[in-house]
Amino acid sequence: MNKELEHSFVEQLEANQNIVHKICRLYTHDQDSHNDLFQEITIQLWRAFPKFRGDSKFSTWMYRVALNTAITLYRKSKRRIKTQDFESISFKIKSEEYDDTIELQLKLMYGAVKKLNDIDKALVFLYLEDKSYREISHTLGISEVNARVKMNRAKEKLRKILNP
Amino acid sequence: MDQLDKLKKEWQSREQELPKVSFNDIYKMLLKKSSSIVKWIFVISIAELLFWIGLHFLIPKENIELMSNMGVGDIMFYSNFIHYTIFAIFIYYFYRNYRSIQVTDNTKMLMRNILKTRKTVKYFVYYNVGMAILVSIVVDIYFYKNSNQLYEAMDFASKGVPQDNFANVFILSQIIVGVVIIGLLVVFYWLIYGILLKRLKGNYIELQKMGD
Repeated sequence: MNKELEHSFVEQLEANQNIVHKICRLYTHDQDSHNDLFQEITIQLWRAFPKFRGDSKFSTWMYRVALNTAITLYRKSKRRIKTQDFESISFKIKSEEYDDTIELQLKLMYGAVKKLNDIDKALVFLYLEDKSYREISHTLGISEVNARVKMNRAKEKLRKILNP
Repeated sequence: MDQLDKLKKEWQSREQELPKVSFNDIYKMLLKKSSSIVKWIFVISIAELLFWIGLHFLIPKENIELMSNMGVGDIMFYSNFIHYTIFAIFIYYFYRNYRSIQVTDNTKMLMRNILKTRKTVKYFVYYNVGMAILVSIVVDIYFYKNSNQLYEAMDFASKGVPQDNFANVFILSQIIVGVVIIGLLVVFYWLIYGILLKRLKGNYIELQKMGD
């Protein structure tokens, strides 16, 4: 086992772990499955790490592998996750800092994003991460035009979820 | 869709709320590969059990008749029953090891579980090889002592096999076949479980280094 490789991997993952946590939050509904998914993504990233040649940024590469893992794992356990525990959506904000209605809106929006299918969720996630359509298309392996079209449809779906 | 854009703004400003996993904890996750190794041990042991049971169905009828003609039918049945019960107990332990390795987050416990798994596998191999040796010795001695009965039961007279040297030739060929089969069994265990145990040991050493 290559020790240096392991160290450099763990270091980079530690520095970029926010990406993985955000994906875990979107794709799971409780702390246990959050941790499970985090571990699964870590293992998949580590397996794929030898193929990471550094021609893209570590974080860009991470988005791709982590989302793929979340999507495939999510697909596998789709039947299991049926109920959505709305309260578990962790948007803990101190009430004095924010307007309650804005807070509620955000919560509803976040809940709506969580209700999207796995691919749309990935799209919206990258949008929230402030990625350009070029980056989104690159990460998800679709064309830029396709990414725009899909994103518009996802927004439409969100609208419908929020205003049924 | 300004609601989505509002969420986007919040999204970025709330990164500090996300959990933090330490370097060591991420490192430990890589070592969690132990869990999949132990899972393989569990799966292979089940496949092995099914293989042996399946083999029973392939035993020709004449052989089973021969066993009952030699008066060992019942003994064979009961010893097989006991053997597979013990086998099943081992599988249960493999499963338990797999579960406990899968759920532990604690390095010390993980190391202890790895050691336990290695021990269980070793006992399992010793038991199986030991049983194979013991059974073939017992069977050979029994057949040797009752070679006349065996000669009649297998109807060698009508096949023109001379009775003079029959017992010696028979027992010699039995021993050769027995040694070859046990040899194959040892090679099989050495290959399959040996590789898995070696990997487990590697993980164990890594964990040990981390603890230092």
